[in-house]
Amino acid sequence: MQSNRLGWILLAPTLVILFFFGVVPFFYVLWLSFHQWNPFAVDPNIIYNGADNFRALVFDQGFLSSLGVTIAFVFFAVLSEVILGYFLAQAFMKEFPGKAIFRTVHTLPLIMAPIIVGSIWKLMTTPSIGIIPTVLDDWFGYDLNIGTSALAAFTVTVIMDIWHWTPLVTLTLIAALASLPADPFEQAQIDGANKRQIFWHITLPMIAPALLATVFIRLMDALRTVDEVLMLTGGGPGSATRYLGVHIFKEVFPKTNYGYGSAVSIIVLYLTIVACWLLYAALIAPRNKKA
Amino acid sequence: MAGVKIKDVVKRYGSVQVMHGIDIDIEDGEFVVLVGPSGCGKSTLLRMLAGLEAISGGTISIGERVVNDVPPKERDIAMVFQSYALYPHKTVAQNMGFPLKMAKRPKAEIDEKVGRAAEILDLTKYLDRYPKALSGGQRQRVAMGRAIVRDPQVFLFDEPLSNLDAKLRVSMRVEIKELHQRLKTTIVYVTHDQIEAMTMADKIVVMRDGRVEQIGAPLDLYDNPQNVFVAGFIGSPSMNFVKGRIGTHDGKKAFVSHKGLVLPVPETAADEGREVVYGIRPEHIRVGSPESGVPMNVVVVEPTGSETQIFARSGEDMIDAIVKERISAKPGERIGFEIDPVDVRLFDDKTQQRLR
Repeated sequence: MQSNRLGWILLAPTLVILFFFGVVPFFYVLWLSFHQWNPFAVDPNIIYNGADNFRALVFDQGFLSSLGVTIAFVFFAVLSEVILGYFLAQAFMKEFPGKAIFRTVHTLPLIMAPIIVGSIWKLMTTPSIGIIPTVLDDWFGYDLNIGTSALAAFTVTVIMDIWHWTPLVTLTLIAALASLPADPFEQAQIDGANKRQIFWHITLPMIAPALLATVFIRLMDALRTVDEVLMLTGGGPGSATRYLGVHIFKEVFPKTNYGYGSAVSIIVLYLTIVACWLLYAALIAPRNKKA
Repeated sequence: MAGVKIKDVVKRYGSVQVMHGIDIDIEDGEFVVLVGPSGCGKSTLLRMLAGLEAISGGTISIGERVVNDVPPKERDIAMVFQSYALYPHKTVAQNMGFPLKMAKRPKAEIDEKVGRAAEILDLTKYLDRYPKALSGGQRQRVAMGRAIVRDPQVFLFDEPLSNLDAKLRVSMRVEIKELHQRLKTTIVYVTHDQIEAMTMADKIVVMRDGRVEQIGAPLDLYDNPQNVFVAGFIGSPSMNFVKGRIGTHDGKKAFVSHKGLVLPVPETAADEGREVVYGIRPEHIRVGSPESGVPMNVVVVEPTGSETQIFARSGEDMIDAIVKERISAKPGERIGFEIDPVDVRLFDDKTQQRLR
C-alpha cells in the first residue's frame, strides 16, 4: 500500500503534464472536429455540425489530392530510407578507414531541427543560386526548378526526407545487426546457404522486430511531416507537395478553419493507426501466433 | 563418408603464429576428439576444417579433395556449435530441414528425412515448436538433427555438451556415441573435457598452444603419455608429479625428490643422478601401513561413496591416492602409500618428455 502510494506520487508530475498537454488537447481537437468554428467567418461562434466536417472531407478535392501525394511521399521516402539505411548499417558493420568520422557526419542530419533542414534544402535548390540546380545544369544540362515542376518538387521533398531520416534507420539497424549472434550465420554457411539466402532466411527474420519498429516510427513521422516541406516548397507548386500536415496547417492557420482542420487531424491520426495496425497484422501477428 | 587429412597446417593472425604445423590423419568413420586447455587451438582447427577460418599454410583434405579454398557450403560437412546456433525464428522442423531446403530438395524428401531424424532423436512431438520453447538438451538434439539430415561426409562438433548440466551431459555423451555407431560417419569432436574425450573417442588428439602433443587411442594415452602435459591432462584426478633425481636408497635404485621424499622406481629406470619428473596416478597407489609403503601424513580425506581420495604429505611433497575401499584415516594420521614401480612414469625434467 505504502509503495503503491509512493509510486503514484512519483508518477504524478508526468501524469499531470500528460493530461494537460496530451489528453486535453486531443479531446479538444476531437470535440472541435464535430463543430464549425471560424472566428473570422460571418458567424464566429462554435457551432455543432455533427459529422459535417467528415462528410465534407470525402468530397474535398484538396483533401483527397493531399491524401494521395502524402501516401506517395510516405511510400517512397520510408521505403528508400529502410533500404538505404540497411545498406549503410551493413557498411558500418565492417571496418574501414575513417569509419568513426563518417558515422558521426552521417548522423548529423538527425540532430537538426526540421525547419533548419527545410531552410538548407531551400537554399540548395533555389534556381540560379542553389548548388543543386547549378550543378545539374552545368553537368547534365538539366534545369531543376522546384517552384515550377511538380515532379521535381515532390522528388526533392522525398530526397530531403531521406537525407534527414535515413541515419535514424541506420542507427537502429546497426544496433540490431550488432546484437545478432554470429553462430546462426556461420551455421547457415555450413548449411549451404549463399549470401542472398542468408539475407532472406536468417538476417531479415532476425532483425525484423527492430526493422518493423523503425518502419512504424518513420511511418508515423512521415505522415505528419509539416515544417520541412512548408519551408522548402510551401506545399507547391500548386498542391504537388501539399502533404496532409501542410494541408492541415494551411486550413487551420491562414484560413482559421479550426473545425475542419481538426477533422482532418483526426482522420490523419486514424490513418496512421490503421497503417500501423495493418503492418502489425501482416508482419508481426502471424509470427507471434506461431510461437 | 570420408576421411580427413590435415597436413602441416599453420595459422597466423598478422605476425602472430597460433598454429604450428598440425598433422592429423583421420580415417573414414573414425571418432576423433580434439582435446586441450582453453586457447590451445582446437576450436580454431575445427573452424578451419569447416571453412569458417582460412588457413595460412598446409593443406586440409576431406576425402580425396583438398578443401583449402573451398567455401563451407561446398565442403559437405555438418557442424554442431556449442551454442547450438539454432535459427530462433524457425520451428524445429524448419531448423532441421534448412540444409535440405538450401540444397533445393523436394519437400516430400525433406519431410521424410526430418521425420526420420526426429524419430532417432526423439523429437517428433516438438517438430512444430520454436527453439525458445525447448530445453537445453532438446535444443542440442535439434542441432544434431540438423546435422544428421544432411548425411554429410564429416560431422564437426564444437564443445556440444558444454552448456548442459552434468547429468544431461553424461546421457548425451552416450547418445552421441550411439549415433556414431549407427551412422558410422567420420566425427571430429572438440572438447576441453578429458572425460568426454576418453569415453567417446576412437582416437584422441591432445593439443596445447597450437601444437599436437600426442595422438593415440584413449587408453594408449592414459598408459603411455609421451610427456608431462599429456600425462597430467589425461586421467582424472590427474597424475601426481614430483620433481627430483634418480638416486639410491637401501642399495636399490630409487627416486629422491628435491625435498627428500624417496619413491620406488623400476630397476630399468634412467641413469643415476638424472633430473626427472616422477609421475604416478592416484588410482595406482594402494594405501597400507607406514611400514608397507612410503610413509605419509594424511592431510585431507574425500569420500565420494564409490571411492575415497586421500591427500597426504611427506615433508613438503603432497601426493594424492584414490582407492575403492572406504578408509577411515584421520588428518595427521600416518599411513603408507604402496607404489608398484611398473605404474611409475618418469619424465625428463628439462624436455618434459617421457623417459623409457
